[in-house]
Amino acid sequence: MGLDNLEHELLEAICSTCNLQDVDIASIQADAPLIGPDSALGIDSLDALEIVVMVQKEYGVRIESENSSRIVLETVATLAAHIRTHSPQLTPQ
Amino acid sequence: MTEHIHIDFPHKQAAHCESGVAANLLSNQGIALSEATAFGIGGGLFFAYLPFIRLNHLPMVTYRGAAGSLLKHISKIPGFTLACQTFSKPEQAMEALDKKLADSIPVGLQTGVFWLPYFPKALRFHFNAHNLVVYGKQGNDYLISDPVFPGPVKCPAEDLAKARFAAGALAPKGKMYHFSQVDEGYDQRRAIIKGIDMVSKMMTGSPFPLIGVKGMRFLAGRLCAWPRRLGAEKADLHLGNVVRMQEEIGTGGGGFRFMYAAFLQESGSQLQDAQLSTCATRLIEAGDQWRVFAAMAARICKKREKSGDSYACAAEHIRHCADIEEQVFISLREWVRQVS
Repeated sequence: MGLDNLEHELLEAICSTCNLQDVDIASIQADAPLIGPDSALGIDSLDALEIVVMVQKEYGVRIESENSSRIVLETVATLAAHIRTHSPQLTPQ
Repeated sequence: MTEHIHIDFPHKQAAHCESGVAANLLSNQGIALSEATAFGIGGGLFFAYLPFIRLNHLPMVTYRGAAGSLLKHISKIPGFTLACQTFSKPEQAMEALDKKLADSIPVGLQTGVFWLPYFPKALRFHFNAHNLVVYGKQGNDYLISDPVFPGPVKCPAEDLAKARFAAGALAPKGKMYHFSQVDEGYDQRRAIIKGIDMVSKMMTGSPFPLIGVKGMRFLAGRLCAWPRRLGAEKADLHLGNVVRMQEEIGTGGGGFRFMYAAFLQESGSQLQDAQLSTCATRLIEAGDQWRVFAAMAARICKKREKSGDSYACAAEHIRHCADIEEQVFISLREWVRQVS
């Protein structure tokens, strides 16, 4: 599953936030696990915190509880979908 | 026979197991209760820094009440009776579970996460106070509503028995419970006031310096000194533990504050009381501050500090959280005095 514009933008922001270097964003699937042992980016729960804060700051979208964090941060596709639904700056595609 | 039993049970995913199980069990018995309200009337919010209790050699920090305390508080609300049993032998415990299912009673269990095979391996850790609801049995598999999962799951009998008798801290000893009495006309207003009173007193009125907002300030003081006292590597481990211990992914200490804020918002609407809604907004600010602290702590632990990131600055964020929460809970104590 390829990346759309927002998903690509998010992956770039995640790599920048988490200081991930030498990541070939084009090779990452939108439905691949974002966090945990199967993550291609090697992101863990501490990185997830920074992503949550970045999303709130850059897109004005709050990810509230542990439960929704788990669901929203499952893949870059789920994160992008959450932002599209809740961001005042973006209209749903 | 208990081989094919399926009791209708409303599974609803929740942020935390105990408040989720409480809300789901009560909803099943006709009390439409959100997880946030279960968390609030059960007095779920708390803060304590307990350096003399070590988990994995690191001091304990908790952002919520002790495991089991929420259900205990809810069971004390007039109109609710929680029937609770523990067992010395797994055979007795599983037999008692089958009997409850045969009587069409969904039951809550305390379990050890490590032994539950439906958890992904990466998330199986030795935590023995995980709550779930068993609502049926198909052959050798129990049908389970585990509130941290999006849908119902199944668990083989042998694994469930192991999880119910996990050894170590907070050993469940086969603990099984259900609400034996639920009065649909219970006084929710009174339960809300009592829940708020309990948490407000604990957060602002405890004489112990490790509890409530005093505990936050105590932690801030200790945290500042960690690099000097412990060395950089150990200090980072301690800092990571403050963030990671209670809330695993992405909430960083704020999650329980957001949930309590949701409880205050819901209660404010129900009781038509603007003061509760104002307190909810302030508590969301506190949650955001916890999150900013946690993100900074994560950067420090990962050695990718931004300009201005430091232990001293992280401690300042905690002090700021303490200041906001102190204002919120003093305001709520006044509210309780006014409405009682």
